[in-house]
Amino acid sequence: MSVQKLAERRADLCHPLIAVPSHDELVEQLFVRDLKQFVNGPLEGVQAELADEEGRSLDKAGSNNGVADLRARMSQHQSFRTWLALKRESQRQLWATVGDSVERQAPQLEALAEIAAPRGSVRTSESFVPPDYILRGDIHLMPGGNAHDDGSLMQGAVMDRGGAVFMLGRNGGMLNDLRGQTAMAHVLTRRPDFTPERILDMGCGIGTSTVPSAQCFPDAEVHGIDVGASILRYAHARAEHLGAPVHFSQQSAERTDFSDASFDLVFSCVLFHETSQAAMFNILAESRRLLRPGGLAVHLEVPLLHDNSDTWVELNGELEAQYNNEPNWRGALTADYMKMMVAAGFGDVMTGYQPTSPAARQGPFRFGAESEGVFRSWFVASGTA
Amino acid sequence: MIRQSLPRTPNRLEAIENSRALDEQFLAMIVGLTSEVTVLRARLDACERLLISAGALERGAIDQFDPPGDAQVERDAQRQRILAKVFRPLREAAQGDLATKRGESA
Repeated sequence: MSVQKLAERRADLCHPLIAVPSHDELVEQLFVRDLKQFVNGPLEGVQAELADEEGRSLDKAGSNNGVADLRARMSQHQSFRTWLALKRESQRQLWATVGDSVERQAPQLEALAEIAAPRGSVRTSESFVPPDYILRGDIHLMPGGNAHDDGSLMQGAVMDRGGAVFMLGRNGGMLNDLRGQTAMAHVLTRRPDFTPERILDMGCGIGTSTVPSAQCFPDAEVHGIDVGASILRYAHARAEHLGAPVHFSQQSAERTDFSDASFDLVFSCVLFHETSQAAMFNILAESRRLLRPGGLAVHLEVPLLHDNSDTWVELNGELEAQYNNEPNWRGALTADYMKMMVAAGFGDVMTGYQPTSPAARQGPFRFGAESEGVFRSWFVASGTA
Repeated sequence: MIRQSLPRTPNRLEAIENSRALDEQFLAMIVGLTSEVTVLRARLDACERLLISAGALERGAIDQFDPPGDAQVERDAQRQRILAKVFRPLREAAQGDLATKRGESA
């Protein structure tokens, strides 16, 4: 592919750093996307019907533990086990094809990541020890995991392209940024005229939610922290290409090196379910410690389990946690955020659902107790210092 | 920057209850093959379209292609070779059963 053609294709893909697939790699990635849709659609649909039948017979038998009993029944079906295996294999194929594509173009991506006059920064630490829940299993089965570091930014490139394919276009296409837009829409719902001077994104990954915060509040000094040096190097270069000056540093959200009361807005997007129950308390306490008086903390998560009345949906989440390595799925999705935030010292705590926002400043600016459905709204817990 | 090959096997792959590891391995191979066939099909499609747009091939020429005698012979042999290669394990298993049965009967 010519340099000019490649540049045009990169521009089409929303930001120039994203790995651009060749003809064959694109077909492979579309195959994985379609396989996932097939597994999550027609195949899962039949499993849901089967679960419904099993659930009815369990009701008659008088079940005390709906999810565990349903799981035991479903595990007896060969088709259930095959569906589960195919679901996991589709995820492994995703990382395999994205890994090949990223490795092939590593020199170009590294050249693109060399920013002549960066407006933001990246700070990594060789002595940093990632938390146990990161090391126990590779989150989302991404080989090497979030903390993998070979001194380059390739793991970040894998996470970016893989994340966008994984979300199947449900989270803002290649920018994969709807959660960040939604978190900022929540901030504006609570405080339409808020002008934070310093913002922190905890567990920022490759900055998919950090960049929207910088775009929403262009005058703020924006920071992002995460546990992986490779993904942070990538996040920095990606943010620079998107015109967002962000300062990234390798730190655990449980305890950072920032001063007390040094931020006006601290937020996280889908962080808690990738940690541990103990870490959730620490992260809430840390976000409280970092807030200036009057500051706002916003933590966004996937819909909570008790907001689902369907046992199959609950079991499906549990399977996703176990076989796609989500270390704190149940802990994060059954927590009482209101109590936890009050206990962490927050005032004016709000918990509920923020509808998904395509662009923070366009809203929608409403917040309510009811989930509007997966990907259509996000659970948010927020409070003030 | 220092760069090494990316890791390819994720840490922590929990066993699926009541499943044999072999079943998952078979499934993974089938998915891999289906992916390859999809890529090959798309590549062939690209070749056909490029040849048509370059004027080297008329639209529908491949569908109307009738291989001449020699080509047909070669194709027949290719097909037999593929069948023997892919289904070798089934033939071997049947041969094993037959040998056992003959041993019992002898």
